[in-house]
Amino acid sequence: MKNKIVQAIKEDETLSGYQIEVFVSADKIVTLTGEVDDWQQVVDCGHLVAKIKGVRNIVNDMTAKGIVIPKRDRSMEIQQAMESGNETACDILVIGAGIAGCAIARELAKYQVKTIVVEKNSDVAEEATKANNGNIHPGVLAKPGTLKAELNLKGNEMYTQLAEDLHFELKRPGSLNVIYKKSEWRKMKALQVMRVTGLGHLVPPLRQVMKVPGLKWLTGDEVKKMEPHLKGEPIGGFWMTTMGLVEPYEVCIAMAENAVENGTEIRLNAEVLDVLVENGRIAGVVTNQGVIRSEIVINCAGVYSDTIAEMANDRFFTIHPRRGAIAIIDKSRKGFLKTPAGIRGGKEAEKNNTKGGGASVTPEGNLLWGPTAVEIPWKEDKSVEASDLDYITKLGMSVTNKVKRSEIITFFAGIRAADYMEDFIIERSRKVGGLIHVAGIQSPGLASAPAIAEMVAGLVYEERGGLLVNPAFNPVREPKPQFRHLSHEEQDALIQKNSKYGNIICRCELITEGEILDAIHATIPATTVDAVKRRTRSGMGRCQGGFCGPRVLEILARELEKEPTEITVKGNDSFILKADNRQPQKGGSHERTEN
Amino acid sequence: MKELKIDVAVIGGGPAGLAAAIEAKDQGAEQVMILERDVELGGILQQCIHDGFGLHRFGKRLSGCGYAHHFIESVASKEIDVKLKTIVLEITDQRIIYAMNEIDGMMRIECGAIILAMGCRERTRSQVFIWGTRPSGVLTAGTVQRYINMEGYLPGEKAVILGSGDIGLIMARRMTLEGIEVEGVYEVMESPGGLTRNISQCLKDFQIPMYLSTTVVRIHGNRKLEGVTVAQVDENRQPIEGTERYIACDLLVLAVGLIPENELSRQLEVEMDPRTKGPIVDEHFMTSMPGIFAAGNVVTVFDLVDYVSLTGEIAGRGAAKYLQGKLNLELPAKDILPGDAVNFVVPQRIRTANAEDSILIYFRVKEEMRKVEVTATVDGEVCMRKKHPIALPPEMMVEKIQVGKIQEDARELRVSVKVG
Repeated sequence: MKNKIVQAIKEDETLSGYQIEVFVSADKIVTLTGEVDDWQQVVDCGHLVAKIKGVRNIVNDMTAKGIVIPKRDRSMEIQQAMESGNETACDILVIGAGIAGCAIARELAKYQVKTIVVEKNSDVAEEATKANNGNIHPGVLAKPGTLKAELNLKGNEMYTQLAEDLHFELKRPGSLNVIYKKSEWRKMKALQVMRVTGLGHLVPPLRQVMKVPGLKWLTGDEVKKMEPHLKGEPIGGFWMTTMGLVEPYEVCIAMAENAVENGTEIRLNAEVLDVLVENGRIAGVVTNQGVIRSEIVINCAGVYSDTIAEMANDRFFTIHPRRGAIAIIDKSRKGFLKTPAGIRGGKEAEKNNTKGGGASVTPEGNLLWGPTAVEIPWKEDKSVEASDLDYITKLGMSVTNKVKRSEIITFFAGIRAADYMEDFIIERSRKVGGLIHVAGIQSPGLASAPAIAEMVAGLVYEERGGLLVNPAFNPVREPKPQFRHLSHEEQDALIQKNSKYGNIICRCELITEGEILDAIHATIPATTVDAVKRRTRSGMGRCQGGFCGPRVLEILARELEKEPTEITVKGNDSFILKADNRQPQKGGSHERTEN
Repeated sequence: MKELKIDVAVIGGGPAGLAAAIEAKDQGAEQVMILERDVELGGILQQCIHDGFGLHRFGKRLSGCGYAHHFIESVASKEIDVKLKTIVLEITDQRIIYAMNEIDGMMRIECGAIILAMGCRERTRSQVFIWGTRPSGVLTAGTVQRYINMEGYLPGEKAVILGSGDIGLIMARRMTLEGIEVEGVYEVMESPGGLTRNISQCLKDFQIPMYLSTTVVRIHGNRKLEGVTVAQVDENRQPIEGTERYIACDLLVLAVGLIPENELSRQLEVEMDPRTKGPIVDEHFMTSMPGIFAAGNVVTVFDLVDYVSLTGEIAGRGAAKYLQGKLNLELPAKDILPGDAVNFVVPQRIRTANAEDSILIYFRVKEEMRKVEVTATVDGEVCMRKKHPIALPPEMMVEKIQVGKIQEDARELRVSVKVG
């Protein structure tokens, strides 16, 4: 196998000139080292090797000129935490409170186990979960035979019940591939024939499409009737009716809250510094908040899942961060598009290991353009570049050219936790007993999350040799009032019941103080401005928190009994106010001079 | 649901709304109600503690709060209803307002006339496309002003200001006085966006540098702002490579423009002017919808509060006349159009028979011009000429035109500016 790999690298035009070392372990894990000129080459080399038959996964230690990825020495912190005497125990410890970790926590709450979820951020859903397009993919694009293909289909279906139980917004407008070129239309019609006749089962690349329910082929007129604002003259469309839309952070928060209501503990601001392995078995983790003993550890650490694996001496994959930038359009365009739409055979969506990208819609009605897919060396670099927005704008404009760039109200980026096989890694560690990896969870990770959770529960069952059902499990999370969705009569009744719902804090999105109080005093309390935003939408509108920011800050300080100077946007040191100017002795930054 | 019936509803209790309510009442409207979403009247003037307000109207330099106080007292003395912490959710074309607050709950208010006076809001970081991350420490100038002047907190230690409009300039001085180091004011355009007097009083007096044709191109820091990169721009406002400079700072203040807040107007589907981003109004500041008026920054962003109050009064008077049936809306309206070198005009229409003896036309020039002559033409015939030493885009121009000079059968009035 090593020879094949070396040969492949040698034959690659862009990589052949470099000194790249290849090491293949007995269990077919390939380690790459060497220096190339730019980061894309590092990633390309990993992908190249991943395509070689028999390779299980890749540890890519290659570097690019001038790019230094700092590594922090945390031994002091680990020692401090070990010596702090702060120690707790649980049956199952989940690292990471993103969509995967929270779905798993909720699934495990159905059984009689004590689960603790640790999350380094100040809130759940703080990383990739909050910064994606919220598409519950129909599962057409996944490669047949992959975990993604299987779990995407299953997860998509599970969302209907989940939304009913957990009361998060789920819309199923489907997703539309718009066809302009005759050649594409012929291809799509051929696919229809394969599907209708069942012949597609005989063609391996089509096997996934054969399994996806609710596919429809539309004529140009039908497409125009469905989406009158599309650009140009579509000649047909491919409508994947099972595509769902959610606010991804809302799903994650709902799952996390339901898990907590059923006995799970979620520790925020708790970062794993080390994984404890004793006699080849997991013994627990060391966090900045102390030691947590556990016989089972589930690694859902997103972009850091390879770091966690390394802490457990089970390094067999590398996460290469892939940034996706998204732009949100003002909701004055609400209803402009009904379904997420992309151009079939469009130039933009070629290459890039991403699902589609185009014009999508949020459940609230905002248009959403993107995402991009850019390989970056740094796992924390969520910046948006001019080139990202140019790309996003082109994507959006390719679908409808009526929406202008000036209608964008915000843009942001999230980091996909991609491994080089570009599939999910969901398995019991082959080296360390009690360790379960849930890594490489990127698109369609959100759509697959409920199915991933079920699968992981199965792995936990195997690991423990059984699981007892929790008879007290309540799958339902009670809904909270959403003022903006009520009729004037209902709004009036709500205000009469609790006048706090009569005080609008966020004018753009019509969010009341009552809703903000609900968020701050929820099962998982919102303690930052962004946490309040994700739960209520305050600050998500066109003024982007200009009006409501100071008011939300004031309410947070009042309710949490903190000083306004202690309130942050997103935890850690993201303070909004530097000093109390009226009490210079209490943290004022300067002496006041009399005028 | 509470049901009310009133004569004039004024949406917004800032300078435009206050002036409009007072004037409507003075002109004979009986039940006038101000619907204000904040806890106090005064609008943005509440946080404007600097002076320079009211030079035209009161002949003295007042603070924003002082200026507002005159009007608030007048409102209090005139039996004008004021509903605070009240937000308007919907206006129908039948002039029915749905508004709510904590005490009354939802209200259905039938109005004889409505005056839109919602003011404007600040443009955000995303709207000027600054690249990089999204840390805390990036705030609009108005938000910073609120924190410092009303809440008593300092949002940073070292600030960079983007935008040399008046708010940016005022905040440069204000932050300096409060002990925040202002590294500089950056302006993407070739010329400053604010009034000349503010550049002198707010920057020069405090030795704060201003960098023209320079902008913030990047924001650094994942959680808390660590710094910004600035760069010079070319004539197309594109950053020039090699001119980048990193500035460590913990506060980026954005003073990148104001936009009329017209969500209610758009929902009502009154005709909008793409140039002003506000409703098209006639000589009484009535919109295209009978009985719906607009005043102040909702029409276009004015640079002096005196103008805002004046337009409020015009709209208030108009609303009273409308109720009294004194406005003949059957008459065809003539267009008032921006001519050479003029960006926009307000008002955009006139029915001469309804108008008073003279009308004021507000407009801005497209670019800086010296020794100019403003002309107004009626169907091509000059009806007014006036010379000015200088015309600057940031300084709104106002000209008075005698309505008698506009013939009954004329089609349009055009305002032009030319050198000479």
